Amino acid sequence: MQIEKYVEQVLQPKLQGDGGWIEFVSFEDGELTVVFRGECSKCLILHRCVDWIEQQIKADLNKTVRVNAIRKKPYFQDV
Amino acid sequence: MAHIKVVRRSMRPEEWTDLRFGWLKRHVYKEKWEITNLMIRDARQTSEMEFQYYSEEYRPLKKGDMYFTPDGTAFIKADVDIPEELQGQELWFSLKTAAEICVKVNGKYIGGVDPNRERMLLSPYVNDKETLHFDMMGYNRSKPDDERNPESLSVRGCRQIFEGAYICVVNHKVQEFVWDFEILLDIAKSELFNEDYRAFLNRELNNAMNFIDFDSDELSGIEEAKKYVDEVIYANDNYKGNGDVALIAHSHLDVAYYWRRIHAVQKNLRTVLIQLRLMDRYPDFKYTHTQPYVYETLEKYYPEVFEELREKVEKGQFEPVGAMYVEPDCNVPSAESLIRQCLYGQLTYRRMFGKTVNNAWLPDVFGNSWILPQILKKSGVDYFVSNKMSTWNDTNRFPHNNFKWKGIDGSQVLACVPPTHFITWNMPSQIQENWEAYIDKDTGGQTMNMFGYGDGGSGCTEEMIELMHRFDKLSVMPKCEHMGAAEFLERNLKDNESLETWDGELYLEMHRGTFTTKSRLKRTNRRLEYKFRTAEMLSLLRKDDNRKELTDLYKKFLINQFHDILPGSHIHPVYVDAVEDYAEIEKELDRIIGTGSEYFNTLNIKRDAITFVPNKKGSATRYGEKGNWLIPAIAPLSGAKLRSVKGGDDWFTFDGKTVETPYYSLSFAPDGSFENLRDKELDREWTDGRFNKLTLYADCPGNYDAWDILPNYRDKEIPLDIDLPVSLAERDGESVSFRTVLRTDKSRWEMIIRLFRRSRGIEVESIVDWNEKHKLAKVEFDCNVLTRKALCDTSAGYIERETHRNTTWQQARFETCHHKWCDLSEAGGGVALINDGKYGVGFNENSMSLSLLRATIRPDVVSDIGRHNFCYMIYPHADDAVSAGINNIAHQYNVPLVKADVKWDMPDFAPLYLQAAKQSENGEMTVIRLSEQDGRRGRIKLGCKVKLLNMLEDEIGETDVIEYKPFEIITVGI
Repeated sequence: MQIEKYVEQVLQPKLQGDGGWIEFVSFEDGELTVVFRGECSKCLILHRCVDWIEQQIKADLNKTVRVNAIRKKPYFQDV
Repeated sequence: MAHIKVVRRSMRPEEWTDLRFGWLKRHVYKEKWEITNLMIRDARQTSEMEFQYYSEEYRPLKKGDMYFTPDGTAFIKADVDIPEELQGQELWFSLKTAAEICVKVNGKYIGGVDPNRERMLLSPYVNDKETLHFDMMGYNRSKPDDERNPESLSVRGCRQIFEGAYICVVNHKVQEFVWDFEILLDIAKSELFNEDYRAFLNRELNNAMNFIDFDSDELSGIEEAKKYVDEVIYANDNYKGNGDVALIAHSHLDVAYYWRRIHAVQKNLRTVLIQLRLMDRYPDFKYTHTQPYVYETLEKYYPEVFEELREKVEKGQFEPVGAMYVEPDCNVPSAESLIRQCLYGQLTYRRMFGKTVNNAWLPDVFGNSWILPQILKKSGVDYFVSNKMSTWNDTNRFPHNNFKWKGIDGSQVLACVPPTHFITWNMPSQIQENWEAYIDKDTGGQTMNMFGYGDGGSGCTEEMIELMHRFDKLSVMPKCEHMGAAEFLERNLKDNESLETWDGELYLEMHRGTFTTKSRLKRTNRRLEYKFRTAEMLSLLRKDDNRKELTDLYKKFLINQFHDILPGSHIHPVYVDAVEDYAEIEKELDRIIGTGSEYFNTLNIKRDAITFVPNKKGSATRYGEKGNWLIPAIAPLSGAKLRSVKGGDDWFTFDGKTVETPYYSLSFAPDGSFENLRDKELDREWTDGRFNKLTLYADCPGNYDAWDILPNYRDKEIPLDIDLPVSLAERDGESVSFRTVLRTDKSRWEMIIRLFRRSRGIEVESIVDWNEKHKLAKVEFDCNVLTRKALCDTSAGYIERETHRNTTWQQARFETCHHKWCDLSEAGGGVALINDGKYGVGFNENSMSLSLLRATIRPDVVSDIGRHNFCYMIYPHADDAVSAGINNIAHQYNVPLVKADVKWDMPDFAPLYLQAAKQSENGEMTVIRLSEQDGRRGRIKLGCKVKLLNMLEDEIGETDVIEYKPFEIITVGI
């Protein structure tokens, strides 16, 4: 499975279930760029989730990636 | 000259006390023995009791390991042999976690832990000489049960670090002293209490702490400190508090919100389990729990826990409250839906516990329709408990807490809207705040203070009960009494003649966006409400006994009316679940409705309004379907063949701007709004400015994004470009339609405007590709009418709303909830607006604005994004809305003709609206529900005896004449 599909079909529903949101942006030279919205965007321990995502991709797709996380906080929480 | 601000950098005495209090809490456990052989298996919940496991095997779980995954459930187990040195002592299991974990030992549910509590008592439930098989199921979420608990907020996040699990022995001396300090420090820090007493407390708490030697291993001096607190602090009764507060234990459980409905099954289990264990330990502890639906899930999936619950109900400790099946939204659901909430809720309680609950318990709902008192009263409910209008109103202070609530028909229930939040943790400052805020001190008796963590359940804690046991020792506190809900309501409200009366809707001055957010849910809810009506009626007439099937479908439907589902205030997966449920329900209802050779009019009025009848060969298009517009002229509750009248299309003219029909001369602006709408029959103009004007506003309400529309939404209007100016689209012998396409840079809005040869109605269909963020779409009508009131349908009669802004009460109601229609009229005529699934409407003098779409991003990042298709009908008329029969026209607009070969052989009950015709729940009779919707009084001679029923289908009398009052809902059995 491609990384983009993996983000949309495997990771996305799990993060959504927690009130979070992840969107694929790009995958180049081993760097997976994703946007986090919703609860993820303000999560104080997002780095743990990012580590988990890297582990999951390794386990499921046998790919070593480095996740570049972009947080998009809602305007009313962007303080 | 430099200004030097004096900043105190040294420790204040109060901070020294706080610091030592923190040290003290570290000594609560005398012994802590770590369980080191825990194993964990990760999974994700896929249905109420099914899980997708991420691995075949369990893996070891050690302190410091990461555990839980996004939306993850974890199964944790261990076989534990209690060390000999701990055997025979009072043992506790402790697990500090951000997750929500239910714990089973040797097959018995022992308790639960979550961010609000970290331990449970083991000893009474296990034999500590046996091997203990621990089985735990935990669910972790980023959003804690209760965001107002700072401790639970600090640990939010979906990947957690395991902090270990322990078998413990509690040092009760320390623990007792910690609770003493907890309560006293809360008072010392609260400005709500007497300043001198707080100074006394700060001084004496420091003195008490001075007895303790924190350098000693044994923490010596605890007894002396405790004695000092008893003899100096508790014994001081020089400071008198006042007030009379009833403490009601409760846990609010959102069936779905930041979690899916499937997760509420275990949230409920954990909540109930924790309360049952507290009851075991504290025989005086009483707890109230709502929503028969969650009782059903417990009974179905955890029968052994349900059996314990039932025992505690019998003992009077566990109190089922809330007659409704779930805690529904009380704005958008129709009267019949609210009746079914009561019917299925009460029948469930009767089956489970043999009792009818006489209260409605709706603390978190976003305002309450004026039709509720009658529905409650006729469903065995005398008492109504809500909360938000007293604590969340953004403009006016709601003037009552304990009062009589008078409904649209004059029915009254006794109401309690407690002065402070329904989630508290029983701290003295919260109780004092409640008393201070209580308005009805002179008339209402005690004030109600609910305590217990909630939103996602959780409930009361050991600490809350322990604090409660100390309140009597504090003269500065209000008098506090722990009791059940029914006891509170009957003692303070029943026969209380001094209570004031509130006659009107309980409008919440907040969350005004919930009438509009998640447009698709609202429209489907409306359509299904009518499909249930049709399916039940046709089943009855065909003598199909599908009661169980219909009840199951109804229950699923009612769950989706929960106050964080239908209003739209939930995360995306909850929306997906609701849409799937609706699709399943609709498919089944369509199957039950079936088909036939004739069109059947399920309404008990003649169908004389223009109606669209689908037909593949039709010459008109609506909702993407071909068909014909016609006037069915089918008699009430009768069937007939339909034939569309073939006529020429020369009944109108259009010169590119103005269309002339038998009724109107209408001049379009290029964007589809009406520059003029001249009524030929009534010889008058209906427009006075913007009319059918689609307008987009910036809609930025802040953190309560899905919930709120703020009064400043009109400050910024977003321009719409015209992609396609108004042009002629379709024409036939009955209708002509015009099409315009508007755009923003992200969205496309196609508007189709239809006029008719034989109807005053002007229908507008919108087909929208909506990709906005923080926008509110409204369609606005400045009517050439002088009026100070609007009429709004409630689904069981109309409510009059002032349209001026004289006082803050009218100003706050800039957006209100209505059902099928609203109307602005003066003597001689007016303009009605009929919809098929829009609920939010604003009025300002002679203007009305129907809210069409929102675009919020919290809690659902993509709320309302996508394709929308909806209609409304502009209906100018002579006389007022009631005389013009707008309600009947709105019924016809919402109730499609169905094909069915059935015969109605009962009276038609006109002029009352036939709201439901169904088999009784016990299968022994036909139940007919009638609703007076025009505000009239009268009688119907039936010519035969019928049973008078309440809404629970209990017989309350017999008659052959139905006497009805304005807005009365009457149920009869035949």
